[in-house]
Amino acid sequence: MPIHEKHLIEKQKIIQKDSAELEGRDVSGQWNIFIQQRILSQYHPSMADEIASTPDGRTINRCWQCGTCTSGCCMHTDFGLREFNPRYFIYLAKIGDEEELKKYKDVIWRCLACNKCVERCPKDVRVEEVIHAIDGYMRKKGWMDDTPASRWDDEYVGNVLKTGILDEIMLLRNYIRDEEMKEFNAGYMMRMGMNMLKTGRLRTGPIRHRTKGWKKVRKVAEEILEKDGYELQ
Amino acid sequence: MICLASPRILVIGGGPAGLSASIDLFEAGADVVLVEKEDVLGGTPKKLHYSLIAPDLKPVEEVLDPLIRQVESSAVTKKLGTVVSAIENGNGHVNVTFTSNGGKEEAVFDAVILATGFTHWDPHKKYEYGYGVYPDVIDFKDFEKMLSDDNLARPSNGKMPARIGWLLCVGSRDRQVGKFYCCRVGCAVSIKQAMEVKKKHPEIDTYIYYMDIRTYGFWEDQLYWKAMEDLNVKFIRGRIGAISKGDEGSLVAMAEDTILQRPSEVPFDMLVLTTGMEASQGTVEMAKLLGLEMEEHGFVRPLEADSLPVHTTVENVFVAGTATGPKAIPDAITEGSAAAIKAFNYVRRSRGKKATGRSMKKDARAYAE
Repeated sequence: MPIHEKHLIEKQKIIQKDSAELEGRDVSGQWNIFIQQRILSQYHPSMADEIASTPDGRTINRCWQCGTCTSGCCMHTDFGLREFNPRYFIYLAKIGDEEELKKYKDVIWRCLACNKCVERCPKDVRVEEVIHAIDGYMRKKGWMDDTPASRWDDEYVGNVLKTGILDEIMLLRNYIRDEEMKEFNAGYMMRMGMNMLKTGRLRTGPIRHRTKGWKKVRKVAEEILEKDGYELQ
Repeated sequence: MICLASPRILVIGGGPAGLSASIDLFEAGADVVLVEKEDVLGGTPKKLHYSLIAPDLKPVEEVLDPLIRQVESSAVTKKLGTVVSAIENGNGHVNVTFTSNGGKEEAVFDAVILATGFTHWDPHKKYEYGYGVYPDVIDFKDFEKMLSDDNLARPSNGKMPARIGWLLCVGSRDRQVGKFYCCRVGCAVSIKQAMEVKKKHPEIDTYIYYMDIRTYGFWEDQLYWKAMEDLNVKFIRGRIGAISKGDEGSLVAMAEDTILQRPSEVPFDMLVLTTGMEASQGTVEMAKLLGLEMEEHGFVRPLEADSLPVHTTVENVFVAGTATGPKAIPDAITEGSAAAIKAFNYVRRSRGKKATGRSMKKDARAYAE
């Protein structure tokens, strides 16, 4: 049977079989298209519980879905990525809707961490952290691969852990190389690098800076990171 | 000559409002008769065995028993198991006929305080929720009793529920059943019940289906936020439209999750209907006997809802508690005291006026202003 208003249905909800058989009779062409129902039929509270137990996700239960975060979100408004809706991601995580959340695996990591949402949230949800925690949960479950954002995080933490001080040049070099950012505007980066050098925000030169007694501190830092569920490479 | 005898005041109803009115009148030196149709004092909260009282989550005994003890130990004349069967009100005197098992009895009073309260709306009338059909659909007064007995179990099989849901506004804010008003306490009480469940059994999942959460004032953070943030009570925006049978004896709550904009049909072990408040039978009957005007929601009309909330359209009749509309227990207790002083002063003033022959008309209003 043909579906007349196909555009109203999400594509992935339509299942079409090449052949269909009903009680031994071939009914292909008549009954070979199915629409999956969109009814929410179960809550999975364990998802929110697990996210709430991480340091980033600890404020997830505070959310009451007012939408203050989304309405100010620069990814959502300024960059026009309307699918990026932190309020909605939090709700999906709270009710544990895995299927719906998976649809946003290419979107959810795109937070710019401007923290406007954190500043504005009336319930003091650390929205930026919570979204990060949901992202982390999804990667941990294998629902999505590493993302540019998560690789940046790993690179950053690894970089700091080496010497106890951030080495910006190494960070940028490794990251750009790993991401194969061909479209990267080298000229722009050079100008920015020069400006940072001039203002002393870029540490460089033959001397590797180190934090005093970093070996001891590093041990503690690693312990804490591991306790918080961060997988060190 | 000014009559020096104590004001004779009748308090009808022995709930929170009636108890507090009786105590205050007695302490002020009035001659108080408290009439209660049940055999115990404490009103609906005691009769239906409420559990903890918001917002401090104190057991109902701790809240009301001190009031009851005060009344019991005082010289207030208590008429339990007694109803008022006839009233004649004229010339500043109220002739009241009491009826009890012991027969009829008459007495004269100078003023009456009506504190006859409310009753929980009967959820049988919302047939789509299957109250009375599915044993695991209960209303929140049943659940309150369950909590106060510390006997949390599914009525169908006596087992511990794994997931409980609440439907707010059953018989409130609903044109279909002619109840246009908010019950004021349903949100708070349901949230409080979920908190009680979660504190004792953190493993039970609790979901509250709401249209709005109206935990006004300090209930916001003391109940709503605390339940949500510390006790992991979940809130689902959407009104359950029907309850049907699910697999393995579960109930399916059919609602639209209005945040997802998707239908939701989620199984529950138990569903609690948060029913609204309506004026009790006693309130309606007494108002008729006393000739009081009713307002459009079926409660007693205060003389001025804003400035004279405990006066009625009859000058020697005062009203307190949920007889004038939904109210929480602390509010009813406050109103009992307010009605007490108004009634007491009215009697003193009217006796003074009578002695000097001045008109008493519109006096209450003039005095209040």
